[in-house]
Amino acid sequence: MQVAVEGPWSPLLGRLTLDAIPYTNPILIFTFVIAATAGLVAVGSVLYFRKVGYIWREWLCSVDHKRIGVMYMILGLVMLFRGFIDGVMMRTQQAIAIGPNSPGYLGAAHGYLPPYHFDQIYSAHGTLMLIFAATPLLTGLGNIIVPLQIGARDMAFPYLNAVSLWLTVSGALLCMISLFVGEFSNATWVGLMPFSELPSNPGVGVDYWMWALQVSSIGTTFNAINIIATIVKMRAPGMGWFRVPVFTWVMMATSIIGLTAFPVLTAALCMLGLDRYVGTHFFTAGMGGNYMLYINLFWTWGHPEVYFLVLPAFGLISEIVATFSSKSLFGYPTMIAASMGIAGVGWVVWAHHFFTMGMGPDLIGFFSAATMIVGIPTGVKAFNWLFTMFRGRIVFTTPMLWAITAILLLLLGGITGMMLSASVVDYTVHDSVFVVAHFHCMVLVIGAGIFAAVTYWWPKLFGFKLNETLGQWFFWTFVAGSLLVFIPMFQAGLDGETRRLDYLFDTSLRPLMLLEVAGIGVYFISVFFFLAMVVVSLVKREPAGQDAWGTGRSLEWLTHTPVPFYNFAVTPQVHALDEMSWRKANGLEKTQPSTYVPIHMPSSTSLPFIIGMLSFVCTFSLVWRIWWLAGASLLAAILLVIIRSFDKNEGYVLSAENIAEMERKLHTVSLVAEQSKVLPVGGHAEAH
Amino acid sequence: MASFTKASADTVLWNAGADAHDNISARTYGFWLYLLSDALIIAAIFATYAVLNNPMNAAGGPLGSQFLSASKGLLQTFIVLGSVLCYSLATVALKRGSKVGVSLGMIGAILLAVVFLGIGLGDLAALSAAGNGFARSGYLSCFFTLIVTHALHMGFGILWMLVMLVQVGVFGFTENVVARLLNLRMFWQFQASVWVVVYIYVYLFGGAH
Amino acid sequence: MAGLEFHYTLWITGIMMLIIVPTLLMTIIFPLRYHHSRNAKYTPDWHFSATIEILAWAIPLAMVVVLAYMSVSAIFRINPWNAPELASAPGASQPPVKVEVIATDWQWVFIYPDENIATIDDLVVPAGRRVQLTMTATDVMNGFYIPQVAPMVDAMPAMVSKDAFEIDQPAQFTGFSTDFSGAGFSWMQFKTRILAQADYDAWVKSVQGSPNQLTYDVFTQKIAQPQVNYGATPSYFSAPNAGRIFGMVVMDAMNGKTYPVPDSLTKSVASNEGKAPASPAAN
Repeated sequence: MQVAVEGPWSPLLGRLTLDAIPYTNPILIFTFVIAATAGLVAVGSVLYFRKVGYIWREWLCSVDHKRIGVMYMILGLVMLFRGFIDGVMMRTQQAIAIGPNSPGYLGAAHGYLPPYHFDQIYSAHGTLMLIFAATPLLTGLGNIIVPLQIGARDMAFPYLNAVSLWLTVSGALLCMISLFVGEFSNATWVGLMPFSELPSNPGVGVDYWMWALQVSSIGTTFNAINIIATIVKMRAPGMGWFRVPVFTWVMMATSIIGLTAFPVLTAALCMLGLDRYVGTHFFTAGMGGNYMLYINLFWTWGHPEVYFLVLPAFGLISEIVATFSSKSLFGYPTMIAASMGIAGVGWVVWAHHFFTMGMGPDLIGFFSAATMIVGIPTGVKAFNWLFTMFRGRIVFTTPMLWAITAILLLLLGGITGMMLSASVVDYTVHDSVFVVAHFHCMVLVIGAGIFAAVTYWWPKLFGFKLNETLGQWFFWTFVAGSLLVFIPMFQAGLDGETRRLDYLFDTSLRPLMLLEVAGIGVYFISVFFFLAMVVVSLVKREPAGQDAWGTGRSLEWLTHTPVPFYNFAVTPQVHALDEMSWRKANGLEKTQPSTYVPIHMPSSTSLPFIIGMLSFVCTFSLVWRIWWLAGASLLAAILLVIIRSFDKNEGYVLSAENIAEMERKLHTVSLVAEQSKVLPVGGHAEAH
Repeated sequence: MASFTKASADTVLWNAGADAHDNISARTYGFWLYLLSDALIIAAIFATYAVLNNPMNAAGGPLGSQFLSASKGLLQTFIVLGSVLCYSLATVALKRGSKVGVSLGMIGAILLAVVFLGIGLGDLAALSAAGNGFARSGYLSCFFTLIVTHALHMGFGILWMLVMLVQVGVFGFTENVVARLLNLRMFWQFQASVWVVVYIYVYLFGGAH
Repeated sequence: MAGLEFHYTLWITGIMMLIIVPTLLMTIIFPLRYHHSRNAKYTPDWHFSATIEILAWAIPLAMVVVLAYMSVSAIFRINPWNAPELASAPGASQPPVKVEVIATDWQWVFIYPDENIATIDDLVVPAGRRVQLTMTATDVMNGFYIPQVAPMVDAMPAMVSKDAFEIDQPAQFTGFSTDFSGAGFSWMQFKTRILAQADYDAWVKSVQGSPNQLTYDVFTQKIAQPQVNYGATPSYFSAPNAGRIFGMVVMDAMNGKTYPVPDSLTKSVASNEGKAPASPAAN
């Protein structure tokens, strides 16, 4: 069954040998030292402060949507940082390796990264940033905010929620371990075909990439199921569809994309896996394979995927602009229509990613026109934000600054996107860094939305605000860095710089490359401001109230600050869109329930974490073709799921007295408190 | 201030009764959503089949029209539909609360499913033995993948039914067990629908007789 | 054709500015004007206006209709498979110069079937004549691009793609590959020289007399084997059976012929990380 692969293979260890460890590569040794030190510091602190049990019980076994969301965001942040470092390496390499007389260091003929290394870096950069940074950050935000915004206690399927998280973590672990054991893919984040097949890529790199993407996309599909079911089935009484906050609506559209588009990626990657593992001919150049089929299937997922990422950012901007203009969001019904419209139209435009692949002009014309149509609902959203600000009362808090910047970046990304959708223009800049600059503008919209949302909802979750001054320093340096890196990149693309070049033959590009590397330096400074902001805020910890910004409008601001693990002591009755504003207008925002009733909560469980770790072992063994271990871990996961199904796992009940007690001592039920120590009367609260 | 509706003396702010969710309804809805995503995977494989089902992708080997028997496929279709019928009878028994009825229905479904798998996988084995295995050409790769994907779904369903046989016996009809039986019913009908589409599109449209 | 592309780029961008510039101004003016410290008019109740919504949908829709019309008509004009644009160019009255392009790992091979010559990394064509390119690749997807000359089209294994151009004055350009194809990708440049007809004829004659011969065997055993041409140094061949090589290369790929790139080769390109010594990169 197994195809003949390059290199030795043993039944016990598969393709894994000591040669897989790159101990001659100084950059990787340096990286390993940093990563190992960071890991030792983290683990050491946990041991020193005796928090092992706490971390295990309260976080790793948690099924609380807020904790899962926070863990998603921590994962996203770490991967964002690693992706950023990859970006730094790319910029510095391209600033040095220009022209045939450019110097070479560390064994490379030009620059300091030979193609073997550089190609892995940008493949990792794309994969990490999109799949393991942006997606977890947005998924985390959705996880935390959607149940709060609809007045629910948790997601519809808390256990599945935890499984999604740990599957994503296992994919990220695969990317991390590829640094030190073996190599990562050099076939770009999309998996170029037929380049990703065995003849051009006989190593393990493409396999690492493929399994990481596969596992995390399964996690994302499950998360989409969860969000849709939560929004459909668990809204608070009185919350009809047109009282649902706009961010939740947008997450509904996003999850519909996630539910329908991600399975296409699963199928495409399965077929690639079959090609690489058992010798089928789906995407080989010969023997009846059709590699253009992979490209079509991949982008049939890939285009809805980018709307999957950008729609939540649009929703975040909507929430923040409305709040900090002290005004309802303008055009709420058309915002919903536009979100659904973007999700729908995003399905019929995929071929604009390969206009040059030889379609006839009639097909190209269709996809070009269809791509332009997406600009219409996007434009409507932008106008709605602007008219929300019009005759509002605007405050320039950090989230608002991020939101306004996001709108400006959307304009720049949008116009360049429309340029690219005209295939006649694309024929000149396809696969150049003009495209790279365009989509980075869009990704910066997403990034700005995320930073805005983190700053905005941080006080609700943790009970204190992030330092405004340092937040604004972070904002300005980040924006300056972005402009310095990506504006020259548009020009470089028009000048003919192809993407994915380890070495630039055209020396006239040097000034632009130097500008870009200066921008990366400014980004570096912004990272320090970000860290300073977090540290200073943690130290100072000025407590925030229930309505932390004073102008909160939607239901999540009604909870206590920080949010108790059960969210609302009694489920609220909803009377209007912008329920918090309605209550404030009627002076009722501080009114607490007069009586409490028992609440049924889901129990924490270690199984999702174990499934995640087993999936990591399974995919790692598949990468190295250690068949026995792959089979054993898969079997173990299936058996554990079956065994768990025999568990009663009915959760536990908090009695009315418990709740009254906890409502009096709110600090005992915050996000970071030892919630499992809360012993309810008549019920159990331990992890399985 | 913005004009909001006014609260009155009997405006209810908190609704304690709202916590009683219909768990079975939520679980079957979620499983239905999962089936939609599964349908998309199948759709992607069908799209692949549509692309690869032509002489250019046969690499000199056979296409379905040369080795598929529509009548044998019809037999398989009847078997799988019979299996669904057995499970539907099990669901009728579930309504009456009869453990024996449910178990017998599931056993019937499993037996017919095993027969189906025997025929289908036997076909694939015969093709491979004749040198037309999944590595022979792009078309055959896709054909095998389509059949095996469906077979895997059936196999997973059979495993699920075996587990449910045990759970029905041990627990009876608890909320968990009933939710799982209902989900399994959806899953079983789904895989049969997929087979019907395979039969029509692969065997009838593209098959010999 | 490049001029046409530029023309459309300017027009499309210009039309979009009609919406982008006002929106940009609004994005800057509104937050400043309605900042709470300015005490400007505050209408907290105003959150819907049918007029604004209709305009917000209709104006972009109108613009998209115009842009889509421009884009579709443009692509039919410069269609690489059969460009009407070229039908009205000066060279349309003469027979086209046919060049067959094969992209290997990591060089460009140009075969002239009518002249029985071939080059590596040097595309030489006469001015004022239409040049018809038929393209394929040995192994992986490549993108054929000469920025000032022809629209970008992919050269792919087991497939035949087409491109065409005409340049009326002698000139020199650099073409390159745009689709990442492996470790040697950064060095896949080729010269493009447009010569006056007389100079071109002289050049063809001199290459026809070249002692290097390109046959199918030479191609598969030496030229198509994965290698990097670091300075994009051209080579010239006479090719007695030039017209047959292209078809055989396409058939090979369809029958599953590949040119594997082992890890050791990938590691050794432009570095000393592999087993082979580092290849010099300087000219």
